[in-house]
Amino acid sequence: MSVGTRILSVEDDERIRTAVKLALEDEGWAVEEAETGEAALATFQRQPTDVVLIDIMLPGIDGFDVCRSIRRVSDVPIVMVTARADTHDVVAGLEAGADDYLTKPFAPKELSARIRALLRRARSSESGSTHLRFGDLEIIPDEGVVRRGGEEIHLTKTEFRLLVELASSPGRVFSRETLLERVWGYGYFGDGRLVDVHVRRLRTKVEADAANPRHVVTVRGLGYKLQA
Amino acid sequence: MRRLRLISRLLPRLGLRARITIAFAVGALLMSAVLAGATLGLTRQNLLDQRESSATARTYQNARTAALQLPGPSDDPAPASSDPTDVLASLPTPSGSNPVLHVGDRWFARAPEYGQDTLPPGLRDTVLDGQPALMRFDHEGATQLAVGVPIDSIDAAYFEIVSLGELEDTLESISISLLAAALITTLAGAAVGWWASRRVLRPLRGIGDAAHAIATGHLDTRVEASDDADLATLADSFNEMAVALEERIQRDARFASNVSHELRSPLMTLAASIEVLENQRDDMPDRARAALDLMVADIERFQQLVEDLLEISRFDAGVMHLDLEEVRVDELVLQAVTNSTDVDVPVDIDADLAGVVVRADKRRLSRVIANLLDNAAKYGEGATRVELRRRGNAVQIAVEDDGPGVPPEDAEAIFFRFNRGSSAGRRRDIDGVGLGLSLVAEHIRLHGGAVWVEGRCDGETGARFVIELPAEAAP
Repeated sequence: MSVGTRILSVEDDERIRTAVKLALEDEGWAVEEAETGEAALATFQRQPTDVVLIDIMLPGIDGFDVCRSIRRVSDVPIVMVTARADTHDVVAGLEAGADDYLTKPFAPKELSARIRALLRRARSSESGSTHLRFGDLEIIPDEGVVRRGGEEIHLTKTEFRLLVELASSPGRVFSRETLLERVWGYGYFGDGRLVDVHVRRLRTKVEADAANPRHVVTVRGLGYKLQA
Repeated sequence: MRRLRLISRLLPRLGLRARITIAFAVGALLMSAVLAGATLGLTRQNLLDQRESSATARTYQNARTAALQLPGPSDDPAPASSDPTDVLASLPTPSGSNPVLHVGDRWFARAPEYGQDTLPPGLRDTVLDGQPALMRFDHEGATQLAVGVPIDSIDAAYFEIVSLGELEDTLESISISLLAAALITTLAGAAVGWWASRRVLRPLRGIGDAAHAIATGHLDTRVEASDDADLATLADSFNEMAVALEERIQRDARFASNVSHELRSPLMTLAASIEVLENQRDDMPDRARAALDLMVADIERFQQLVEDLLEISRFDAGVMHLDLEEVRVDELVLQAVTNSTDVDVPVDIDADLAGVVVRADKRRLSRVIANLLDNAAKYGEGATRVELRRRGNAVQIAVEDDGPGVPPEDAEAIFFRFNRGSSAGRRRDIDGVGLGLSLVAEHIRLHGGAVWVEGRCDGETGARFVIELPAEAAP
């Protein structure tokens, strides 16, 4: 049981917020609630948070903005809640910095599983030992540090985990399914857009020219690989 | 009248265009026939009158000439050429006209084949009785005109037999020309009718095309406004109807979508609350536990129903987007089967299908397979076998069950919404509202494939649901 894990839940519907809080507290987590985006940002600044759960549809500043604001100052895992899976909302939310998403109505069990996967991944990056080098790219898994041309670049936990996963077998092609399973803990039917958007985000940080990636390369129809 | 009724009974079977064409052709035929008939009749009468009057005038003239040359009973010194044969030969007659002379009791003819025997007896007797006469008659297949004038002064009579064969020839060539003209007019009438009907029907065809487009889902189709006042009304009414229809359909789709969306929030609260209760299940009294179990089971059904309704409303609103990617079909089917059923269903995969790729929305296709397995569990005593095989450029995914099978009359209807087939409807214990198969049909249609139900291949009773998807070459 992850005692001491603090979750910030941003949801404007009071009944949903309360029910989700009850369910998450049953998992042994501490839940802080926020009704609006503004309240969420204030709470986030006031106290340390391990996972943020954001409903995209919020009055005032919306979930995307909350997501972006948090991302500017923190690499905390963010799960967003969307109304539908097939809209642009999912991609927009992931691009705003979310690590994973759920569609309403979701089972709290599913939410707990997602949160656990995010927490596991954030911690697992703290172990490991090797010092990896890909051209101008330098990865030190045990320190959670990535440098390009000697300069440290800032990655979210999920981006870092994705990069380390690709770096574990340089040159090997990883399918989206494999990456979904290893990084997010999803099975065969996970949403491939999670991988695509995270690869895109990763490229803007580790590539000199994200439009013509040298390190994180797409292998059409098969997946992605990391090269020097 | 009976004939007309017969025609009107026959005509409706033909298209409007054919009927207009026929009407124009028949009209042209009737009109040209009347005109030709009148022309022919008048011409004939005219020519005959001309012939008759000229023949009559000449006959009188020749009779007078003959009267002067023939010796009368009182004439003592006979005139120079008093022989009737000579007189006959000297009379001026046009070709085709044969003079005959009766003097005393003897007959004289210039041409031996046109003699007193040729003359109709009625005419001959009348003239010999002292009355001039004129008669048309047939002789050896040709029409002849006979004119006779008595020459009282010398007890003689003069006749002319005029052949009307030439006239008949003229009339015949005129009638051939008129017939040809009538024929051409009829054809021209038919052509004009065809063209006119085409012009008249063109706007109708435009409206027909628009109606077809609307029926196939292009609800925003409209008919172009027409300058023609008569057609403008039709086009306007059609467009009004199309607008009303589109609004109505969109309103229905929006309503379904809104309702389902609004249901999400309370469902979310219910699902989360029930889960909290489930965590306390062991501490509950038996009765509370039984009630909780009922809630857990029905909240799942409820969630599935809302999910299905949302999916359906997306189809109706035309906003369904597939997340298409190239997937290995064998892997997808295996994963979908493992993912969606607790029972161990054997999956037979054709050996040559290894690595065959389809363009599909993985999660939706998985839902489709799950729905078929679910359907087999609810109505078919459970799925017995899933088969995956190649059929030319397509792959077929078949789900077989052990149930009573689907009667042929239901084979199409079970894919309609809220339809569970006539036999399923009698089983009250089955949960499910009948959206599963209609979603299967809609998804597969959007994937460019087909779905149908048939009997099992091995001859056992049971249904076999087949999905056919276009296959792509392996990458």
